[in-house]
Amino acid sequence: MPKSLSISAVAVILLASIPLGYLVIRATGSGIAVAAEVIGREKTVTTLMTTISLALLVAFFALVIGLSSAWLIQRTNLPFSSLFLVLGTLALAVPSYVSTYAWIALIPNFTGFAAAVLILTLTTAPYVLLAAIAALRRIDATQEESARALGLGPTQVAKRVIWPQSRPTLLAAVLLVLLYVLSDFGAVSLLRVDTFTRVVHTMYKATYDRSAAAVVAMVLVLLAAVLIYAEQRARGRAVAAKSGLGTIRTATKIDIGNKKYVAVAYLFVLSAASIGLPIYVLVTRFIAVSNDLDISKLVSAAAATVTAALAGALLAMLFAIPLGLLAARYKSKVSTIAESAILVTHALPGVVIGLALVALGSKLGFLYQTLPLLAFAYAVLFLAKAVGSVRTSFARVPRVFDDISHSLGNSNWQTIRKVTIPIAAPGVITGFLLVFLTAMKELPATLMLRPTGFDTLATEIWAATAISQYGKAAPYALLLVLIAALPTYLLSRPDRAQVDQSRENVGL
Amino acid sequence: MVIQNYERINLRKYLGLAAGAALLFSLVACSSDNQDEAAAELTIYSGRSEEFIGTFFADFETQTGIKLNVRYGDSAELAAQLLEEGANSKADLFIAQDAGSLGAVADAGMLATLDSTVLDLVDPQYQSDDGSWVGVTGRARVFAYDPTKVTELPSSIDDLLDSKWSGKIGIAPTNASFQAFITALRQLRGEAAAEQWLTALVANQPLTYEKNSMIVEAIDAGQIEIGLTNHYYIYEVAQSLGRAINVKDGFFAPGDVGNLVNVSGAGILNTAKNSAGAAELIKFLLSNESQNKFVTDTNEYSVLPDLPAPKDLPSLKQIGSPRVDLTALRDVAATQRLLVRVGLL
Amino acid sequence: MTTLRIDGLTVTFANRPVLNELNLVVPAGAFAAVLGPSGCGKTTLLRAIAGFITPFSGTIRFGDQLVSVSSIVVPPERRKVGYVAQEGALFPHLTVAENIAFGITDNKIKSDLVTELLQLVGLSKFANRMPNELSGGQQTRVALARALAPAPKVMLLDEPFSALDAALRDELRAEVSELLKSRKTTTLMVTHDREEALVVADVVALMRDGQILQTGTPAEVYHNPISAEIAISTGDVLLLDCAKDEAGKISSVFTPTQLSPSALPGKLVIRPEEIKITAAATGLSAKVIDLDYYGHDAVVHLDAAGARVDVRIAGPVELKVGDLVGLEHVGPIRWFPN
Repeated sequence: MPKSLSISAVAVILLASIPLGYLVIRATGSGIAVAAEVIGREKTVTTLMTTISLALLVAFFALVIGLSSAWLIQRTNLPFSSLFLVLGTLALAVPSYVSTYAWIALIPNFTGFAAAVLILTLTTAPYVLLAAIAALRRIDATQEESARALGLGPTQVAKRVIWPQSRPTLLAAVLLVLLYVLSDFGAVSLLRVDTFTRVVHTMYKATYDRSAAAVVAMVLVLLAAVLIYAEQRARGRAVAAKSGLGTIRTATKIDIGNKKYVAVAYLFVLSAASIGLPIYVLVTRFIAVSNDLDISKLVSAAAATVTAALAGALLAMLFAIPLGLLAARYKSKVSTIAESAILVTHALPGVVIGLALVALGSKLGFLYQTLPLLAFAYAVLFLAKAVGSVRTSFARVPRVFDDISHSLGNSNWQTIRKVTIPIAAPGVITGFLLVFLTAMKELPATLMLRPTGFDTLATEIWAATAISQYGKAAPYALLLVLIAALPTYLLSRPDRAQVDQSRENVGL
Repeated sequence: MVIQNYERINLRKYLGLAAGAALLFSLVACSSDNQDEAAAELTIYSGRSEEFIGTFFADFETQTGIKLNVRYGDSAELAAQLLEEGANSKADLFIAQDAGSLGAVADAGMLATLDSTVLDLVDPQYQSDDGSWVGVTGRARVFAYDPTKVTELPSSIDDLLDSKWSGKIGIAPTNASFQAFITALRQLRGEAAAEQWLTALVANQPLTYEKNSMIVEAIDAGQIEIGLTNHYYIYEVAQSLGRAINVKDGFFAPGDVGNLVNVSGAGILNTAKNSAGAAELIKFLLSNESQNKFVTDTNEYSVLPDLPAPKDLPSLKQIGSPRVDLTALRDVAATQRLLVRVGLL
Repeated sequence: MTTLRIDGLTVTFANRPVLNELNLVVPAGAFAAVLGPSGCGKTTLLRAIAGFITPFSGTIRFGDQLVSVSSIVVPPERRKVGYVAQEGALFPHLTVAENIAFGITDNKIKSDLVTELLQLVGLSKFANRMPNELSGGQQTRVALARALAPAPKVMLLDEPFSALDAALRDELRAEVSELLKSRKTTTLMVTHDREEALVVADVVALMRDGQILQTGTPAEVYHNPISAEIAISTGDVLLLDCAKDEAGKISSVFTPTQLSPSALPGKLVIRPEEIKITAAATGLSAKVIDLDYYGHDAVVHLDAAGARVDVRIAGPVELKVGDLVGLEHVGPIRWFPN
């Protein structure tokens, strides 16, 4: 392993672990007695149950919706399939707190566990959708056809050919969904569902004793760690790629006949629920309450949002590339631990990360409440998303290219620069877009770390809803969804550069 | 080699595009932010939203020429942030929606003692006991109610424990103002009695809401009939919905703990770079002009002894706030634990 | 021109030796083929020579330069070795011309050299195509040009033709070997196809279980294999049970004789073209049981005293199934103990 790679990877890991470190320091600072009291509460058990069941249910439904949508779009002769793909992904542009208050506006009694399952499922299903589409595209049709020729029915083919090959990608997406549910605050606070994140938030707000909150957050960390470990076990060995040569053939589309009306209706309802409804409510609220619109404020908030998110995404990719390379090419215990640490950070509520960086940043004086620190916060918050897609795309660059590049006189870094990264470019760009998109919607850390006077669309939405001026929030929310639609659309476009190994390069 | 439809993606182009866009946007974003180094500046952490206090700040800027850098946020979160920042904080002035947040920051020794010229403006009841912060507006605890459904108004918080209110009460236990009320309850009646009251309330199955405005909206929508909240929310909700609402403010008997009058207030940070400017701003907010504006614009109570109450509401004297040391309201941690014990948090 | 010299090379994987004290010399400018079954370690050998893996012990020399001594290795980017992988492995994000130019460091000669190489492999019009637009054979040719561009000291080919169909394979094989021989580049090609090895190589090395068993010209390894196994690797064989005594007399179905009781049992290795079919009365009598007619020659399957014998004969065949003929052995006696 090139030394410079390991050094940069270690540097990134240290930086990304700052929130965790802060949490541990704060949690242990309060003393065992308080910690015990906090954890021993009956409420903690119920919170644990609520959080876990919410996460599992959302993951299950997101998987069902994402997979079924992906299969319909990718594998059948569904009409308007590209449109539905875009619509299905577009839900990523709507933050959970925006869609929640849209639903609340429409249905007054919309609260509670079931409501949270609904909202969070609609919010996270796009991740599964994207992963499933990518996985289905990669499967070689000839394998499926051979299986059919051997007498396996469609369900058997799905179970024994499609599922094993898509499993790693899907499991990774499910893990992200689970971790997101753990960290979500916007939806659960409005719907009054007591997950750990909500409890942590409340405790930070009310106690001014950050230690007790930190203890609760540590429970969250443990929960996340368990989930991450479970996913790694379930992922199992890397999947063998195709055998045989020639260009990969995409499967012919299955004709679903008259059932396509049902399929279209199903996907239409999903889109309506996840995007149509929020937009409708936003627009009507905006119109109903006549407010004079401060255009300049709107524009500067939009500019601020895009700038901060772009900076955060660029920084995240800078961090993700050495880590992704490490995980893809030089897999070791260290790289697995690093990945896990990053994933656990992903489960932390934004408020934790925000406070950690406040603690650190305020000591740094000149860097505190500046755009670079905010970008750093975004990078740390969303590193998991970036590393995931970077790692996958690097892993799919066959090793033989490294060898050939070396034989042609290139060092490790030259190879990475001239061969690995360009070939992995689509995955790198996907990671970038994901971070960019999520950063645009971020709220708690932004509130704490933004330069004074630097308001993003998200903070303006918050400011308006904090004083119940939902109508005033509407234009900002609408603009946020609109701007977020661009990277979302880019995310839904087909993969490029599918270079797969025809047989495993085992080196023997 | 299996090669599938490769399209050349020029990463350099993407990178350049992204960086260029970032530069472009940052120019737009920062253009509104032109730092004029020559003029004096003041950094404010404001738990009061821009909507309600923004105009005051703008007026102050025009009058004095001091540039204000305002960080808006939630009072409690800003307090937590200040505590985390400690001596490195950049803030000059902290304006909070409730005494609790101010008290927490004062407790950490971060607030400077205010000049007597400031403190003398305000009734001693509406400031801290050690001169570290001063109230700016008064916020009365009330019960909001549906006048068509509620004919017999409760005169004490104990009345709410009656089973006839079962399932019809709204509270916002995560809210700082509710917690301030409970802290006052603990102060006046003692821990055991406070817990008793809360347990009985919980037995009456109150509906919990995240925000005070939601309580008012719920009353208007007919979900509940009565709710414990702050007095100005009925105005806030009416404004946001753009129509009259079916909710009114009601007060308990004078002296009842349910009539707690809390304050929004301000304190100057020890580490302030511009304490003089901060003091000037506080005096500005306490000026007759500003105080009248608070009463008419946001329907809050003034902390100056002679000014009238907001429209249609009794004066502070008439309300009869319970005798509670506002400074003591900062003991939210114990209130928190109590609320957790009874299952409201 | 560089001699490739490998001494005592041992490469281990998970504590098991994959290459076991392997010795091989490829003379300067020669085209050598390493012939062996799958799993014998051919690819590992190639990767060790290229520098992609670090050996456990042994040395590798390019001419006078030591590139590998035990675990001390010169990294591949400094060995000046050309590597053509099994599947061509063209960089998918670069055009054909860019692929070929990838290893050229001197910018002044770059475009001229690329043009020259394209011409050499007959793909002048394909300079700006993307790899996924090329056929298998074209990809292999570009991979070859790319490897040749930096003027390597040693060329390594990893079964470069195995992916192609038969007709293309023969044609491309001839082109490639001609090209490399004309440039006098020392080449090592690994293959499991014995025909390929015999046809193109100047030197054939037989490999099994991580070791080189025999090295020689194609004729040598074909006619004078040092074991029955190697004989089988290098061509069709007829294995006949026989015995040999201390005096050196051999008793087989062709030459049945009495031998002393201490005679050792063994196998006689005979090439199918070393048996002549004569009239029924002369030699060993046999009956025709089957005929494989290839046009230019034929393989006749016979039953000779219970033993199955396959004979290759040229030209028109007038035999039919059931005919009785005689068999004569007209080749060297190659005897190997069991």
